Amino acid sequence: MSSTSQKHKDFVAEPMGEKPVTALAGIGEVLGQRLEGKGFDKAYVVLGQFLVLKKDEELFRDWLKDTCKANVKQQGDCFGCLKEWCDAFL
Amino acid sequence: MASTQLSDEELFSELKLFGFTPGPVTENTRPVYLKKLKKLREEQQQRGSRPGKTRSSGAINSTAGGGNTAGSRPASHDVTHLSSSRRPGRKSSVLGFSSDESDAETPLKRKGLNYSSKADRSSGFPQQPKIRPVTTPRVASKSQYGAASTLNINNSSPGPCGQRSVSSGWGVRARSSPEAEGRDYDESGDEDYYEGDLEKNSRSLNGCGASHLNTSKLAADYSDSDEEEVVALSAGEQQRVRLEQRRSYQKAGFPFHGVGRGSQAGGAARQVNPPDSLNMLGTRREEGEEDEVKRRDSDPSGGFRSHNFPRKSIYVSLAENHGGEAGHNNHVDGEDGASRSGSSSRFAIGLRPRFSNYSSLSQTYRSNHSNHTAPNHSYSQALLKQKLSVPEDELLQQFKRDEVASSGSFSAHYLSMFLLTAACLFFLLLGLMYLRMRGSGSSEVDGVIKSHPFGSDFDTYDKETKDLILKLLLSLHDHLANVAGQHDCGDQQHPNRSLSMKEASAYLLTQNQEFGGFIETALEWIIRTGQDVGIRLTGTLADEPLTDWSEISQLESTHPKMPFTCRFRRAFFTVISRVFLIAVVVACVGSVVCYMKYRWRREEEETRQMYDMVERIIDVLRSHSEACQENQDLQPYLPIPHVRDSLVQPQDRKKMKKVWERAVRFLSANESRIRKETQRIGGADFLVWRWIQPSLSCDKTSLMPSKVWQGKAFPLDRRNSPPNSLTPCLKIRNMFDPVMEVGENWDLVIHEAILEKCNDNDGIVHIAVDKNSREGCVYVKCLSAEHSGRAFKALHGSWFDGKLVTVKYLRLDRYHQRFPQAQGSSTPLKASSLHASATEAASAAARPQHRVSTNSSGFS
Repeated sequence: MSSTSQKHKDFVAEPMGEKPVTALAGIGEVLGQRLEGKGFDKAYVVLGQFLVLKKDEELFRDWLKDTCKANVKQQGDCFGCLKEWCDAFL
Repeated sequence: MASTQLSDEELFSELKLFGFTPGPVTENTRPVYLKKLKKLREEQQQRGSRPGKTRSSGAINSTAGGGNTAGSRPASHDVTHLSSSRRPGRKSSVLGFSSDESDAETPLKRKGLNYSSKADRSSGFPQQPKIRPVTTPRVASKSQYGAASTLNINNSSPGPCGQRSVSSGWGVRARSSPEAEGRDYDESGDEDYYEGDLEKNSRSLNGCGASHLNTSKLAADYSDSDEEEVVALSAGEQQRVRLEQRRSYQKAGFPFHGVGRGSQAGGAARQVNPPDSLNMLGTRREEGEEDEVKRRDSDPSGGFRSHNFPRKSIYVSLAENHGGEAGHNNHVDGEDGASRSGSSSRFAIGLRPRFSNYSSLSQTYRSNHSNHTAPNHSYSQALLKQKLSVPEDELLQQFKRDEVASSGSFSAHYLSMFLLTAACLFFLLLGLMYLRMRGSGSSEVDGVIKSHPFGSDFDTYDKETKDLILKLLLSLHDHLANVAGQHDCGDQQHPNRSLSMKEASAYLLTQNQEFGGFIETALEWIIRTGQDVGIRLTGTLADEPLTDWSEISQLESTHPKMPFTCRFRRAFFTVISRVFLIAVVVACVGSVVCYMKYRWRREEEETRQMYDMVERIIDVLRSHSEACQENQDLQPYLPIPHVRDSLVQPQDRKKMKKVWERAVRFLSANESRIRKETQRIGGADFLVWRWIQPSLSCDKTSLMPSKVWQGKAFPLDRRNSPPNSLTPCLKIRNMFDPVMEVGENWDLVIHEAILEKCNDNDGIVHIAVDKNSREGCVYVKCLSAEHSGRAFKALHGSWFDGKLVTVKYLRLDRYHQRFPQAQGSSTPLKASSLHASATEAASAAARPQHRVSTNSSGFS
């Protein structure tokens, strides 16, 4: 029942196209830098990882934590954002 | 595990063995799947030891009989459910509950749950064979409760790992403990369970990590209080303890007690409680369970009690420590009954810590003896007692306070009411007594008149005479008082307040014949004495002091005696009138104060408005004078009415008239830069204002933001800039607003600004300012793409003159199409050094000439 942020709403409202990875909810400047450092420079690459992990929440969260050291809230926001995007567009 | 050497395919197949279908194992997903594999493997280990226990618990459940329906089965089901699918169902339930739980806790909790439930099974299992033959209906109920507790534990939001495991451990113990009733088995069984749990918990500790340890330690702190609670298992005590101890509470412990108490309306209570607890946080369910248990406790069965509280010895010792609290029991009971739903939340809060206490207690227990059996339990008990005593004391104190508060809060209501009524009654009585005393006056008893105000001379009479006289006087006094009182009360019988001499004598004679002779002497004595004896004698002529009794014409009482109701009524009216008077006075004063405040506020408001108006007038005049300087056609003065009409809206003019007048007066008195004079405008004479401050030349330019670079808005990186510069030509947007530009050569200022910004980059060969572009475009050509890239980095995203500048690359051929003169330019432009220091338009005017020359040279 947690409310979603504006970022989440903006992301889920339309196909992500070439949006940068910082357009994901929960991913800000710092996390975005880290993700880009690992090669995830666009949101769709992270989406790819999300799909490879079969949209599993725990696996995706662990992966996020390992990759960019996201905290619980950020993980949850990102997962929720991607999940909702998938529900809408995939 | 040799998981590090697993290849992707091996990892994939291993994961599949666990029934988990992994996605592709790539370099990104590898670590995640490795972790998963580890988890699954550990789970399998637990699972391997578990199937036996589930069976045994199932057996017990079945033997237990009817009582065991929902409780045990869901518990076992839950366990298996837990073991099989870790995530989906439980995760949802977990997520649903613990919105504020940390992520670290969640997997740990889950793990802990797994382990704890497994632990229960494992610990319970060795004991089962021993105990199984001793199945009784109690077992059923107990296991039901235990199972219910475990069920609830499992369902409720995850608390600390330790709690969970311990509680479930308790649940298991509960199951088996009743079977060992009346034997040391209980204790030993508990010990073993403790140990078993300890082992499992230590494993779970390893698995869960530090947090689990912490939670179990936390539980350890609480377990003392848990023990306390458990101790007070005697019907009232238990409830009291529960009330007292707002600690985390292991529900498992309570089911023990509750079971012992008797399975009364367990289902009903449970239904009541869960809804209650559902209203609270999910963890409260545990407490709901406890409440339910508590209620069950109200129906004690003594034998059970001794058994069902395996640690009774410990509890007893604990109970002794808190003997004094027994008195609260009744209170608590009543409270419990009365404010169940309300207090249940409180209890819930209290129970939760107890819950963890329990677990920690068992943890400490286990930690104390690793693999000891029954013989060691005494040692552990002692240790337990010891451990309990210290923190328990603190907790007890806490709970005492809490309990007092809780019981007090319940009875405090009644207590306060009682006190209030008592105070009211007291004051009422006081008032009544006062009235009565006043009314009765000096109620001297007949014949006990020892004191008299007549002095020592009176004593010369013999006793009889004295008595007679005094009695006479007394009766006279009383009669007169009555008369006066009745008269004062409006009784129509006695129109006169006073009695005449004749009436008085007649009355006295009727009282006592013997009075007759002494009337005169008595009256003489009254006259002689100067004190007020309650009778006032007045002669025929008022204000004349009497000297002889014969002069007396009226007798009046100075202490009228009125009937009680009359007195009361009078007093009441007096009080009312006085109160009314005071209220009126207070109201008057209050209204005066309010009025003063209102006036003061109004005045402040008006003053503020006046100053505001003054400021606006000054602004208008100043701007007008500046405009006049530039435009010589205007008159340097403004008529006052015109100023007013321009500043004040027509609809406000009447309202603001006063403010305006004050402003005008203020200006004429306090403003030196404005001079009031009379001028003839259009044939009519006007009072005008003239601004007479010579304008400061540097004012204007310093006030306006000059064309400077003001910093970068965002850092340039790959995201918002092209990774490499594409062409040597740049188009810079939003550097100026053509409409707003004033003065000549502002484009040269722009040139300078760009060059200044890129002074490290000496590759700019051509700059063109598009004066007519709405977007404020400036076109720049550089020597090479590299130079333009550097210029791009320097300019893009910077603030210039309050505008955010953006840059983009242009195709070289287009650029040459637009600016053919740039085709030949190859000399880098340099910023003029003068520009860096001064922003004066004069120097800017001087520079362009220099620049123009360089430009032309560049072009050629």
